[in-house]
Amino acid sequence: MATDTTTEVAGGFGQVSRTVGQLFRYLLLAATLFGLVFVTILLVYVANDAIQPLTADPGWHLTFFLALVVPTLAAGAYVYRRDGEAFQTGALAIGLAVVSLMFSGGAAMIFADIVEPLTFLAFLVAVAVPGVVTLAVVAYDDRIPFLGQFAVTVAAFYLSLFGVPGPLGAAAGISSVVPGVFGLLAGVPLAPAPWLLAVLSVGLPLAAVGGSLVARDRGRRARLFAGAGILAVPLAGGIVGPFVGVDPLPATVVASVGFVPPIVYAANVAINVPRERVALLIPVTIIVGALVGAFAVDLAGFAGPQSWVDWAFLTASHSNTAEDAGFYPAIGGSILLMVTVAVFAFPVGVGAAVYLEEYAPDNRFTRVVDVNISNLAGVPSVVYGLLGFGLFVTYLGQPDGTVLLGGLTLGLLILPIVIISAREAIRSVPEEQRAASYGMGATKWQTVKNVVLPRSFSGILTGTILALGRAIGETAPLIMIGAPNVTYSLPTSFSEAASAMPLQVYAWSSLYAGPNFYNKVVPAGVVVLVAVLLAMNSIAIVLRNKYQVGD
Amino acid sequence: MSGDSLEEALTTRTANAPPELLSRSFFFVCAALSIATTIGLIVLLTTEAAKFFSFSAPLVGVTGETASVVEFLTGTNWGPTEGNFGVLSLVSATLMIMIGSSLLALPLGVGTAIYLSEYASPRLRGVLKPGLEILAGIPTVVYGFFAIIYITPALQPFVPGLGTFNILSACIVVGIMIIPMVASISEDAMSAVPESLRQAGYGMGATKFEVSTGIVVPASLSGIFSSFILALSRAIGETMAVTIAAGSTAQFLNVLNPAAYTERALPMTAAMVKLVGGDVTGGGVAYRSVFAIGITLFVITLAMNVISDLVAQHYREEY
Repeated sequence: MATDTTTEVAGGFGQVSRTVGQLFRYLLLAATLFGLVFVTILLVYVANDAIQPLTADPGWHLTFFLALVVPTLAAGAYVYRRDGEAFQTGALAIGLAVVSLMFSGGAAMIFADIVEPLTFLAFLVAVAVPGVVTLAVVAYDDRIPFLGQFAVTVAAFYLSLFGVPGPLGAAAGISSVVPGVFGLLAGVPLAPAPWLLAVLSVGLPLAAVGGSLVARDRGRRARLFAGAGILAVPLAGGIVGPFVGVDPLPATVVASVGFVPPIVYAANVAINVPRERVALLIPVTIIVGALVGAFAVDLAGFAGPQSWVDWAFLTASHSNTAEDAGFYPAIGGSILLMVTVAVFAFPVGVGAAVYLEEYAPDNRFTRVVDVNISNLAGVPSVVYGLLGFGLFVTYLGQPDGTVLLGGLTLGLLILPIVIISAREAIRSVPEEQRAASYGMGATKWQTVKNVVLPRSFSGILTGTILALGRAIGETAPLIMIGAPNVTYSLPTSFSEAASAMPLQVYAWSSLYAGPNFYNKVVPAGVVVLVAVLLAMNSIAIVLRNKYQVGD
Repeated sequence: MSGDSLEEALTTRTANAPPELLSRSFFFVCAALSIATTIGLIVLLTTEAAKFFSFSAPLVGVTGETASVVEFLTGTNWGPTEGNFGVLSLVSATLMIMIGSSLLALPLGVGTAIYLSEYASPRLRGVLKPGLEILAGIPTVVYGFFAIIYITPALQPFVPGLGTFNILSACIVVGIMIIPMVASISEDAMSAVPESLRQAGYGMGATKFEVSTGIVVPASLSGIFSSFILALSRAIGETMAVTIAAGSTAQFLNVLNPAAYTERALPMTAAMVKLVGGDVTGGGVAYRSVFAIGITLFVITLAMNVISDLVAQHYREEY
């Protein structure tokens, strides 16, 4: 059978050997799987080192196997057999719960240590007031000339955020006459408890969005009712928190950011997609199983694994002894860096993409920008670090290693990636839709604003999240701009020096190299870092799949 | 870049209205920022590197210690604190990382690309492609840690003379890191090969293997080649993994000698991190050598990107 193909063909219609083809196919499959399997094994190793599941009692494993794993598998198999799509919905629900809980930890950290809830609430209101003014101005679009609208909008934002005369006046040496909305609210002497403020500033917007999503087909009263029901979750978090040993403020934030999105998702499925209600069996089984397992383990006195990724690790700062070292300041630094990067790179990247796709004439400048962006994407990250340091520290005299500096440097680094992916998303908007918009008499800006950007938004978002994932893992630029390897407290402003998760991992694995750090703290840090990245990547991938299907 | 005449006709009249002008200028500034970044990068690197070399230092008004450009480019001894600035020992380490990682990544990457574009079912592709993306998304500092903690100890029984820090495991992790890049760019090129070519092959009685290797791969060769160059440039610019895994002792090694891969070495990127991260304090000649390495690195990677672009454009088969 296994004869050489060419001779067979030359000899006429004979049998063609399939051996070579099959071999080739399996070789290719092996090549494809090599990297994936390799890295999966390494990740299993590092997770094993960090979490040490084998240190737990066999009884602990058995309890959780019986209470959690077996029912989950059974529920999953049942749902999958009934409806494949419902299975996906159920898996998404539990994934959403995990991801939201993770990010709620970060949010709780921000409110507990970086921004006071009162400041945040004041900021929200100070942005909302001129926002309403802007909407009102835009509603009378045809009666006020554009420049007038523009001036009113800018003035409203300026006055609301800074007051009279604000930083412009301060630059001219005039002291503040009237504080803005922000200053007024942030300086209120008798504010309610911080956790109530968090309910107002974080819980209320989420509840409003969630309520109108869940009861979207049922009129205003139902929406209000649903919103109130959802608002009960953060309130309950604040009230119940102290009884289980958590401060009310972080408990409120975790309840708002961690519990509300999955609850809204589940309620949405239950109310609006009756066909997939069976999907909720999966998350319910998992949550009930986990609770029952935890309770049973506690009752029977089985010891859990001696994981290094524990509460102490997540909330302590660096220490020279591996047992006490923690990740808290690094996590906070990374969060602030990401906020800075997103605020800078998202608008600029999308703006550049819109220019190149919608406005740019086909001339030399455009071609130069085009080539330039793809070349910038290939510049090593360490060179961006040099750019950040040279530009902002040497020439502009900024202090080195600050959050702002790091964020701008990383922002410049991911800008080409954001531009390239945003261009792709914009290009995928069908030409007919633009033509229809122009045909209705829309101007270019109206077409961009009403057709192109909304249609490409999820694609742009996907690319931005992936780019942010790249930025959160970057270490070399941060070293080059002089970010400190180790900080002992959270940065409280953007002009303070901050470490970041990958930088802290690098410091532990190089400066504090030794078996203690290698076997305990570094794996724990790697697990946290990779978990955050996987969460971000999976959000991006789920978003993209949804968006591709929707098109 | 829409040059649609209908669109132009419909929008020229309003093109200079204030909202149009304002939004257009904002978008233009955003796009121009990328040019500003490049100019900033080039100006900064050249002026700072000029302060380092003795021939150019007087031009930028720097007096004091400098290094000769000939010594920099031909010397094989790197020791910035002792005033030895031979970049060749760093270049040799970088070259070894590049060669070693490409031996691993190029065949695996192309294999992956062929499998994804020709063999995999849509369902399998839907799983494998995000998997590869995640592979590319893992931070390089994590790869460096993997190399030093798991890969080197695992290799030590098989490779005699393998130290804690070595080039070999750095090559392996960098190779794993650049597989997705080779795979995705090559796969794009292969997917762009028109179906009719494949059908013609099958019509002639070719097997799937013959179509893949005899039609699809040759037709997408320019894309594959440009993916190689981009991946190599990525390997050269790779920083944290090699900093952690390859060690911090600069030595000039014979690139072609397999035994040299068990040695420790200091690639260019690692040397920059080492200099800034602790070796020297600002201002001195040793500090300015960072910018000299930086500009060398920038020029090499830029040249490779440009070459890859040219290859992809000029040798592309048009269908």
